[in-house]
Parts: sequence; C-alpha cells; structure tokens
Amino acid sequence: MIEKREALAKMFSAKGSKINTNRGAEYYDSLMQTMNKRLAELEQTPAAGKVSITNVLEAEGLDRRDFMKWASAACAALMLPSNFTPLIAKAAELMNRVPVIWIELQDCAGNSEAILRSDAPTIDELILETISLEFNETLMAAAGHAAEEHLEEAMHTFKGKYLCVVEGAIPLAMDGLYGTIGAKAETFKDHLLRVAKDSAAVVAVGTCATFGGVPAASPNPTGAVGVQDIVKGKPIINIPACPANPANITGTILHYVLTGQIPELDHLNRPKFAFGYRIHDNCERRAHFDAGEFVEEWGDKGAQNNFCLYKMGCKGPMTFNNCSIVRYNSGTNWPIGAGHGCIGCSEPQFWDKYAQERPMADTHFKAPTGGVEKTVDEFGLGLLTAAGIGIGIHAIASVIAGKKEGDE
Amino acid sequence: MNYKKVERMSGAMRINHWVVAVSMVVAIVTGLYIGHPYYQSFIADPAATKYVMAWNRLAHFIVAIIFDVSSIVVAYLYFFSRFEKPYKKLIPSGKNISEFFAVLVNLITLNRVKKFDSSHSDSFNSVFFFVFHMMLVWMLLTGLQLYVHGLASGLSSIGAWWPAMLHLATDWTLWATGGTNMDVRISHHYTMYSIIAWVMFHIYYQIWRTIFWKEGDINIVVGGNKFIKEK
Repeated sequence: MIEKREALAKMFSAKGSKINTNRGAEYYDSLMQTMNKRLAELEQTPAAGKVSITNVLEAEGLDRRDFMKWASAACAALMLPSNFTPLIAKAAELMNRVPVIWIELQDCAGNSEAILRSDAPTIDELILETISLEFNETLMAAAGHAAEEHLEEAMHTFKGKYLCVVEGAIPLAMDGLYGTIGAKAETFKDHLLRVAKDSAAVVAVGTCATFGGVPAASPNPTGAVGVQDIVKGKPIINIPACPANPANITGTILHYVLTGQIPELDHLNRPKFAFGYRIHDNCERRAHFDAGEFVEEWGDKGAQNNFCLYKMGCKGPMTFNNCSIVRYNSGTNWPIGAGHGCIGCSEPQFWDKYAQERPMADTHFKAPTGGVEKTVDEFGLGLLTAAGIGIGIHAIASVIAGKKEGDE
Repeated sequence: MNYKKVERMSGAMRINHWVVAVSMVVAIVTGLYIGHPYYQSFIADPAATKYVMAWNRLAHFIVAIIFDVSSIVVAYLYFFSRFEKPYKKLIPSGKNISEFFAVLVNLITLNRVKKFDSSHSDSFNSVFFFVFHMMLVWMLLTGLQLYVHGLASGLSSIGAWWPAMLHLATDWTLWATGGTNMDVRISHHYTMYSIIAWVMFHIYYQIWRTIFWKEGDINIVVGGNKFIKEK
C-alpha cells in the first residue's frame, strides 16, 4: 500500500498536466522532420507482415478517399496540425513494419473482442489488422508448443524493436498461481516480465492491464495489479477503458510508428491526446446538467428527453476519456448517448468507486470507521446524530447538576 | 459584584466571523445539491431559463472564494493579531497543555471546577478553532482539485497560471485520499459532515458558556466583548 502510494506520489509530481495543442511552427517543423526521417527508415525495412492497409481496405470495399478522411480525423485526434495528414496516411501504410507481441493475462479478452467483432469495422480497426501481430493467443492458429516456439522466435527476431501489448491484470496472490500459461506453468507475472524485457515499449490495453480493473475489485482475491506495478524501467503507455477504444490503441501505435517514441502521457501514464479531457466537459447532455434537468428513474420523461444522467450515477464529471468525442463502433454511439451513465471505466479502481450507478452521495463505500458499507450521507448523518446525542446529554446533565457562576 | 469589560474581537473580526457563518450555510446547501440534486427544476421550462445546477455551482464557488479569503485573514491573525496571538496558544508547552485540560475539565464537570483564566482566548478554544481551520484548508484544497478537473485544457479566463498553480497546490490530495478523483470527492463530502458536527458543538459550547459562566460570552461575536468578575 505504502509502496503504491509512493509510486503515485512520484507520478503526480513528475509532470504538469497541461495539454498544449499549439506548440508553435518551430516545434511542428522539427517534429515533421523527425517523422519524415523515421518513416523513411521504416520504409527501408522489410514488411514484417504480408497484409497491407491497401489490400485490406480494398477487401472491405473502402476507397482511398475514405482512408484519407480517416487520416485527417486521426491527425486531429493526435492533436497535430492538418498538414501532418499525409504523414499519418503514410504511417498507416507502414504499420506492417512495426512488430507487435500481444499477450493476454487475467481478463475477458474484451479489448481484443472490441476490435475484432464489429460487423462493419472502422479504419481504426482495420489498421490494427495490418500491424505485424507476431503473437496473439486469441487470434493465432498455433497452439501449445508451436505457440510457445513462435513467441520465442518473435522475441528473438525483433529483440528491442517490438511493442509489447498487454491485455489483462496480473494476479500476484498465492505466488501468482491464479494465472499460469504454457506447459511449464509460467505465471502471468513471469510471462509479462519475460516478454516486456526485450520490448521497445509496453502498451497496457484496457483497464485490467492498466490499473487491475475488474479482477482487482474489492476484495481482490487474486491480488491482481496492473502492468505498471510490475514492469519497471520500460516506457509504459496505459490505454484504459473497458474496453479500450480501438481509436486510442491505433492512435498510440500510430504515434509510435511516426516518431519512434511514446506519446505525451498524463500522471496515470495515459496518452494526453486521448485522456486529457473530461467526459463531462464534452458531453452532449451537459446543458441538461447545468439546467438541473436530470433523469430521475429509468424510462421517465427525463430519460425520453435525453436529460442528464448524473442522478442515475453518471461518473462523467470524474472521468477523463475521449469517448464523448470519439465514441465507439465507428462513432455510432457511446454509453451516455445510449441513455446509460458513464461508469468511469478509464479511471483507477473504477469497479469499487465509480461503477455503482448511483450519485456519489448515495453510493455504499467502506466507511472510515470500517464495518458495513454505507453511503457518505449515512455515515455523515450518523456522525451528526452522535454529536447531537452527546450535546443533548451534556445539556441535560448541565441543567440538572451544573453549577452556574454565583450559585452557592 | 463588579464586572470588568474585556474586548475580545474587533469589528473586522466579527464581520469575518459572520461572513464565514453565512458562507458555510450557503456552501452546505449548494454543496448537497451538487452531490445529489435534491429538488427538481420545472421540466416544462426551457433549459436556458432555469440553469439550476449552474447557479448552485456558481454560488458554491463564490462562497468558497469568500471563505478562502477570510481564511487568509484568519491565517494572518494567527501571527499578527493584536489580541493574544493564537499560534502562541497552540504550542504544546506545559502551560498550554495544563490550560487545555483545565478548560476540558470545566466542561466535563459541568462548570463545578473552573481553574483557569476565562478572560482570554484559552488553549482549548485555540486548539478547537485550529481543528476547524485545518478542515477548511482541506476543503479548500480538495475543492480546488475537483474544480481544476474542468480546466483540462490548461487554460482559464484569467490565464494559464491559474490551473497550473491549482495542479501544483492540490494534486497531492489525489494521492492523500487514495489515488482516484472519486476519493477526493468522497473526502470533500465527509469533511463537510465533520464541519457541521464541529459547528453544532461550537454553537452549543458558546451558549453553554454564556449560561454557566455568566460572563456574557455570546457577546464576543456580537458586541466584541465579554465581562469578567473583578476580584
């Protein structure tokens, strides 16, 4: 606990949280030079995968125009000026040069599923199909010893160059035996450390991998923690949310392809381009919040009129994510748009502290005194009642037995 | 029996006290609304004409700022008051500790034992108020942390220094409360109840002193003085 707090304290004091969206012509000129150089280098290297974005787009019936529209949107999402659009498009074409090893730990594979299972994939999702995915338990045909060998080979071939994408929490209780993989029963912790060791950077995808997520929810029987609690001495990028938005995964990998570096991160190691803003401030129902127009119960007049979901427990005011702008499934919709409040899935400890579907004041938490969980208001009223009883007893006692000055 | 008048609070101090008292009531009424909107606005009215949450938040922030400024005044008085300087009564010296317990004993024995000088602001009083001021500082820091969440762009109407300063001054409250934005909210809400409990005791104790000490203590905050029996 103390160690965790120290780590948090260090993170909070590390860097400011200002998001600078205009850094001046000089900065962008030098950035463009860096990117051009990097892309030229990448172009020289052989494609690690056979799939390229051009033939994937063709197979899906999308033309170059759709692709360029996506590139300009991705450029904006990465907070770059519009003249970077051709570079983004080129980077997407060179995505198959960056080897990725995707490992799966204690989770539901929901992040993989979110990317794979859409019936009309977005270009974000298609691009993730073209990355040179060297190893992924969910997708690959190989199994058993063949899979293990494949992992070894990929780690050896692309030593120091591959991105290690991690999905899922790491159980530490019982020496990590809650999760093992392979014939030698390697624990998830050892597995992660082994793969992360030779990687260029580690990308934790989804809330389980970033903060422990649902497996780490109280009472956390498996002792689950996130990647940043285990892996030290490597650049770590956290892309939380449940599931992580494919747009943000693509954005992060794009940034890596473009610069060879990780994007600017906030105090929780989340890319600022995606987690720099609060859901509440970009919410389409924000006006109803300010007006005091709330949904009081599911299906009421307020719900029919798309009123604010704050009283139904929406945690948009405490949650930093870009889903109110980017949305999910090709921008089709997002939780609040569908009439359900935000559950704060991109924040640490969201299952215990955000996802109760009640306003904070009505949520049952562990009280400071311990014991049965109660709401802050219940605890507070208990405190006031105790104070009132104490005062009452003292007042009555004073009237009966007290001594006024001058009394003899 | 002769009584001597002792001045305890200047006019400015009394105004400060009542500004704080009114601010606190407004902060609690609006703060409870922000935490859980407990009344509904008229659904038939167009949104632009009611703006209920926005007004509540505005009032909450305005009284918070008044509160903060008055706290700065109080902090100044801790060191430069022309009455007995409160910081001197907080130092855990033998004299202060014995006075603290003498006043506590007076309270517990229902004024049957009174062995201290009740003409000045005693150590018990000073410690009691210090607890209150610490809670106010905590409310200020956690409140500003919650507020700066809305300034994610790093800009504000008064310049970029303001959110930068708020981050610098208040980001540690995230760490201190448990690491999430929600923990800061929970702590802000719990502390409100602690402050209300403090106020309950404060009002009771002042009335109790007035009745049992018979020195007109309630007048300290109204007229600025109390009376002491001349020996």
